[in-house]
Amino acid sequence: MAVHALAMDDEQYSEQRDHRLLGFLLFLISDCIIFSSFIFTYLYLRSAAPVWPPPGVKPADLYMAGVNSIVLFGSGATMHFAMESFKHAKFLRFYWWLVATIVLGSMFLGGQAIEYTNLIHESTLWAGSIYGASFFTLTGLHGFHVLIGVCFLVVVLNQTLSGTYSRARYFGLTAASLYWHFVDVIWVALFSLLYVWR
Amino acid sequence: MDLAAIERIIALIGALVVGGAALWSLRLEWPKSGLDDHVTKVMLALLALGCFIVILVATRVLQGIA
Repeated sequence: MAVHALAMDDEQYSEQRDHRLLGFLLFLISDCIIFSSFIFTYLYLRSAAPVWPPPGVKPADLYMAGVNSIVLFGSGATMHFAMESFKHAKFLRFYWWLVATIVLGSMFLGGQAIEYTNLIHESTLWAGSIYGASFFTLTGLHGFHVLIGVCFLVVVLNQTLSGTYSRARYFGLTAASLYWHFVDVIWVALFSLLYVWR
Repeated sequence: MDLAAIERIIALIGALVVGGAALWSLRLEWPKSGLDDHVTKVMLALLALGCFIVILVATRVLQGIA
């Protein structure tokens, strides 16, 4: 693909880039629909329950989730800085911002693992209640997306180090950046629904 | 100081820093007109919204509303 891309002139590449960008945005919209279906299922289950969370179920820690959210939102900011650094040919800065994004994404996953452990110790289980089932399903689906995102960023970092991208041709970086922002934005909705609105 | 207070302070400082960075980036991004630039603007605005929600949580304006 990279060899094929290099064989094209800039105008051809630009046109193909637009098509790929549109395709990638459609992928993000389809992913958004997946999350929406889970979120509406959660809202339906929640509205059907007389008390939320159900009696005897300890909800997740709001403040710890707040810290974890900031870690993820911070990774969105570092990803944006990485992209801007690349566009302005500040490659050393780009590497540092991208590594920071990968580290923050991994920290978020670590925070989520700690949160899951705490909840399981407090007997809030996936199979224990509708609260546990919906909480673990939604946060688990998001966590899976973050994991995929971290892998995506590691691949992009490796590709950049091997010279796949140039200042004129960097669609893979754009896609990684958009995907990471998408994962951030989904978390804004999940944080509000699962932690803040109780 | 208990753990919850420490978490609130970290969340508040982090939200101010990240939210400020998101708004600053949005301001710089504003004149750009490409499709990916427009999407980035929406994402940055929502990122700033997320930080605002965390600020409300950390300052106890929102604390598990029902």
